[in-house]
Amino acid sequence: MKNDTPANFLEMLAYFISLQIEDHKFVYVGTGLPMAAAILAHKTHAPNITMVYESGGQDPIEGDMPWSVGDPFTWRKAAVLQEMAYSFGQSANGYVDIAFLGFAQVDMYGNVNTHQIGKDLTNPKIRLTGSGGNNDLSSLTENMVLVGLQTPERFPERVDFITSVGHLEGGKSRQEAGLIGRGPIAVISQWGIYDFEPETKRMRIKSLTPGIPFEIAQQSTGFELLKPNGDIPETPMIPPDVLDILRMKVDPNGVFTTMPS
Amino acid sequence: MSTFSYNQEALKNLNIGDASLLNHLIDFESAREAHLNKVRGKVDKRISLKEAVAEYVMDGDVLCDTGFSYVRTCHQAFFEMMRQGKKDLQMIGAPNTNQSYMINYGSVTFSHNSYVGAEMRGTDRNYSRQLKNGKVKILSEWSHGGIAQGLKAAQLGAPGLFSKQMLGSDIMNYNPYIKTMQNPMRDDSDPVAFIPALYPDVAFLHVQVADKYGNACIYGPVVNDIALAAATRKVIITAEEIVPEINLRYVKDGAMIPFIYADAVVELPFGAVPGNMPGYYYWSRQWWEKLMRYAAPDEKRFIEFIEEWIMGTKDQFEFVEKLGGAKWIAEARRQTKAAESNNEDIDFRYQEYTTVNKADIYY
Repeated sequence: MKNDTPANFLEMLAYFISLQIEDHKFVYVGTGLPMAAAILAHKTHAPNITMVYESGGQDPIEGDMPWSVGDPFTWRKAAVLQEMAYSFGQSANGYVDIAFLGFAQVDMYGNVNTHQIGKDLTNPKIRLTGSGGNNDLSSLTENMVLVGLQTPERFPERVDFITSVGHLEGGKSRQEAGLIGRGPIAVISQWGIYDFEPETKRMRIKSLTPGIPFEIAQQSTGFELLKPNGDIPETPMIPPDVLDILRMKVDPNGVFTTMPS
Repeated sequence: MSTFSYNQEALKNLNIGDASLLNHLIDFESAREAHLNKVRGKVDKRISLKEAVAEYVMDGDVLCDTGFSYVRTCHQAFFEMMRQGKKDLQMIGAPNTNQSYMINYGSVTFSHNSYVGAEMRGTDRNYSRQLKNGKVKILSEWSHGGIAQGLKAAQLGAPGLFSKQMLGSDIMNYNPYIKTMQNPMRDDSDPVAFIPALYPDVAFLHVQVADKYGNACIYGPVVNDIALAAATRKVIITAEEIVPEINLRYVKDGAMIPFIYADAVVELPFGAVPGNMPGYYYWSRQWWEKLMRYAAPDEKRFIEFIEEWIMGTKDQFEFVEKLGGAKWIAEARRQTKAAESNNEDIDFRYQEYTTVNKADIYY
């Protein structure tokens, strides 16, 4: 079934995420959009990647979209299904190249909050999930990519709770805290792709979604976004043939790429 | 019992006045004593679930979750603890705390968290409400990997291990058990997190097959369960099927738990319902949607739901009847085989539970 409607935000996000995945890499994915994106990359420009999951499964035979990290689709006929402690150990030991994580809040240094809205853990405004594997991957993996929708509340100057350290307070503070890997290399939202300025480690625009001016991105952010030198590049739009693959072969039931009503 | 030197800032941040509540989880001597007293010989350990819960779950025990969120989790054992009115358990919600219904009835009053919620089904608004109402007190906050390392250290017989996880995060400020230290072998600065070995009081491990002595075989994700079985003071194996011991020798397709860990064995078909049991049945997606999306946001609806499904059923068979009986079993079996690539692919589309799309069979 061919569908000519333009890409929605989630489909664009899935494409932007997939662009971060180079071929021949070990990729740690959670459920949700990053998983659809990793499969999209696998079916397009990165046919030789290997996917690793927190459940311990790796390199499963592709099937439907899993609703849980422990779902059979994350270990479907997998040759290897490791205990969870060992699965994270692979990240620490340098076997994982890139990992994707979601957030409820992300700050200017790429620190992530998935714990709560409000400052007090014993009495928050809203309790969210807590870490799960978010902190482990963020602490250990060579390259981290953070993925989520962008609003001022979700991009505050300081997160309410640091679940996972990104670049902590900038500069060399991540390394000084004892963490492994380069930390977050990108943040991907519906408005754009951001990287981190190499010295200060502050979030910086890398490219914006076509049609989105700087002002929109800045108004959706609770801190000052750094700009690249010169003109701000546009993120390439999802080509029609890739959109077709996403809709027909990656997530045909729209589990992760249908906008919530 | 030993005395312990906790992370004082975390005690303060968590408002824990009586730190002795924390001791049992890291008390090696009493765990070793419990293990020394386990029956050595191969004896028939089979009892019923009701007997196992009555005999082995004591009010105030440290109870640990098993499986992974909805996968191979001992939901029916949790339900039986509720029905028997167990009180004041400390729940280790790792890998998951989607058992927050135990809080509303006072079965769980303390939690050690690494994850709260139901993944794609959303955050657990019941847990959030119980926390704000003071019905549950957080004793420690973790990452998945941190708690996995604590259990693994116990399995290795090590007092703890040094981790590179959780450093610099606010989790360190809300976990009395973890301390940031300098790596003692390095001259240059190298912060590490010391994680003590963890010894829960009681765990129910639901497996596909076991023998009557407690040799147990897990197919699908093991997650923490081998380490947990080695660490825990009281281990109850519940199994979809009990098989002769000879069937569990030379098993290649699955991970083994040795019988010495098991205090009791329960034959418990559908013991992971409404979760997914690899090889046996897929999870009831609509049941979880009704719980997390319809019931959990409102206290009254939540209690009605729990009264109907947990307190209002006497065992797993009544529960399965409510899900849709034999029709549900046939579909759940077909789905899990398809998910595992063990039959022809089937269409996984289904109607999500809404107040309009009410389910008569909970697929």
